[in-house]
Amino acid sequence: MVYKRKRHKSYRRRTFEIGIVLLVIVSVVLALAFVKRPINRTEDWINPNIISSIDLVERPFEYDGRELEFIGEAVGERMVRSSLSGGGAWIHLNDDPYMYTNVGSGGPLSGYNSGSAVWVKDVGLTDAIKNYGGYQVRGDAIKVVGVYNMACAQHGGDTDIHAQSLEVIAAGGMSKVPVDTWKLLVAPLLLVIAGVMYLINRRRIRDEIKGLFKRRSARDA
Amino acid sequence: MILRPSADSHRVIGKYTGKILVGLGLLMLVPLICSLVYQEWSVALDFTISFSLCMVVGFGAQAFFRTERDLTWSEGLVVAAGSWIWAVLLAAIPYYLSGHMGSYLDACFDAMSGFTTTGLFVLQDLDHLSNGMNVWRHVLTYTGGQGIVVIALTFLFKGTAGAYKMYVGEGKDERLLPNVVQTARAIWLVSIVYLVIGTAALFVVNLWLGMSPARGFILAAQQFMGAWSTGGFAPMSYNGMYYHSLAAELIIIAIAIAGSFNFALHWAVWTGKRKEIFKNIETITFSISLICLTSVAMWGLIKMGVYEDSLSLARKAFYIIASGHSGTGLTVIYNRSFVTMWGPIAMIATIIVMIIGGSACSTAGGLKVFRVGIFVKSILADVKRSMLPESAVLKVKYHHVKDSYLTDKLSKSVAMIITLFLITYLSSGFLGVLYGYDFTQALFEGVSALSTCGLSCGVTTPAMPDGMKVAYILYMWLGRLEFLSIFAVGGYLYSVLRGR
Repeated sequence: MVYKRKRHKSYRRRTFEIGIVLLVIVSVVLALAFVKRPINRTEDWINPNIISSIDLVERPFEYDGRELEFIGEAVGERMVRSSLSGGGAWIHLNDDPYMYTNVGSGGPLSGYNSGSAVWVKDVGLTDAIKNYGGYQVRGDAIKVVGVYNMACAQHGGDTDIHAQSLEVIAAGGMSKVPVDTWKLLVAPLLLVIAGVMYLINRRRIRDEIKGLFKRRSARDA
Repeated sequence: MILRPSADSHRVIGKYTGKILVGLGLLMLVPLICSLVYQEWSVALDFTISFSLCMVVGFGAQAFFRTERDLTWSEGLVVAAGSWIWAVLLAAIPYYLSGHMGSYLDACFDAMSGFTTTGLFVLQDLDHLSNGMNVWRHVLTYTGGQGIVVIALTFLFKGTAGAYKMYVGEGKDERLLPNVVQTARAIWLVSIVYLVIGTAALFVVNLWLGMSPARGFILAAQQFMGAWSTGGFAPMSYNGMYYHSLAAELIIIAIAIAGSFNFALHWAVWTGKRKEIFKNIETITFSISLICLTSVAMWGLIKMGVYEDSLSLARKAFYIIASGHSGTGLTVIYNRSFVTMWGPIAMIATIIVMIIGGSACSTAGGLKVFRVGIFVKSILADVKRSMLPESAVLKVKYHHVKDSYLTDKLSKSVAMIITLFLITYLSSGFLGVLYGYDFTQALFEGVSALSTCGLSCGVTTPAMPDGMKVAYILYMWLGRLEFLSIFAVGGYLYSVLRGR
């Protein structure tokens, strides 16, 4: 009877201790997980377009075949097509809050990118675009006027704008991503610690690397 | 009576988990080198920090948990499932340091999505992401498709009996070769050969599309990794719409379908058994469901009056249905277009193919076409049996690498797994409804997460409720490893707390 009570008591205490440890781990992980960066200032963002790319996606049947003006940051690159593949050039214009300040350059987080594919029949018009947005590059802000196609028959059903005119309204350029000072301190320190951990394990690692190259003919159990 | 795991059991689990985390750290050298080449110094520091942390944790675990004992079955399953969680926590670090994630939870979401080759993401401002980070996203799906354990088996294990148990714990059980380490290396050989061929083909297409050689090459490698792994990550936010090219779409979809096939099928074809493609129950089931559901999707699109010409109709429907069926998740329409343009019939066809999924022992998710094929054969056999005299003996044959007979045990296990999956799919739909989403859209997204497909109808966004993000992380993990490993982890934790 006494033995049964003692065993039950130690079992309850063990469960309690393990529970406390798990609770602490879960709390730390949850705290890290739900700590958020300052949220976007989308209420400050005014889309330069009367009909935005989001409107075009949300109400495609309403705008299909309509001529409209579209302003956005040129991203990616220009893709010039041969006459065999339809000619013209493809560009992509994003009308999202990142078009003036992207995340890498310190811009606030504001959700996904949003924009429209634009096909320009006269390739020469796209020569005016000097900067295409990417990492450390702010693309030129471009205004096109053209016809919106919900499912373009000429281009395999793609959603696009066939631009008749193109204008650069604001030049882009380099937007350097600054290096955080704390990373310059932490990175080499961690590298040194990792090196020490490797040295502690080096003999075992050497044996395992030798073992990797041994001929293997045995079946698994 | 449930036995509490011994201290040696914890040690062996800790040791092998540490090995896998060292492998993860070595993977981070790929984006680190890429960011140095492109002079992305901040990104290089992010990966140096993350690489070092992996090494510290991985080597530290191996130094602390010293044992020479081999893994038992349950320990192998626990290592396979548990190491995924640790790998996600560490793989999320470069994401978080990049500044493109709203929280560490978001970073874990994308890391889990990468490893499980899902393709859903909550990363913000993708079009301004660094080359190093983009390479990391795609390397995650490429290696996640092979399996974290497979990587470790290829490079870090001498070869133990316990290795096979971890291999099975990752949702694979095909033995290409007698030894599991040789099998893991064969899987890698297949993947790397296709990587070279696929990247070369896409590079040529990218040049033809008008890209510069440097950009064309790095995009080709990422396109291949996203397609072959059936991951669905794309380097630009426009996803498959970026290229506006039938040639690019056909090559990418061919790679995706090939990636969704069983590695045993690939190995059989490589070793001269080419007829396997036409005889295998998986390829037959896949082909039939692909043709039928593409037709259903096309019918739905005709009713909506979206596409003017039949070529555009067929092209879009086939791409999306094939992408969903293979579990890839690459898309040639905007996410919201599933709701605003495609309509309910085409959406439901897409949901069904995502549920069916790809082949077993591949990079795809879902129920798996093998199980669907066996399930259909079992039903047909029961119907036939009911029409035969009682004394008749009915033997049903199927071909999967070799000829086999359908047994009651196999039928029962398939039916059980299908039932578990279907219940979980429905629960994902109800979860979305609880958070205020439309049921069809919530089901579409939940199925996509659990099937590790990655097609989205707009439910997954950075603004999605945190509870749904946590649920989708668990769904993706469950969908990739399937139920066995997850039950093993649950059982292990229960035995730690309640065992005697």
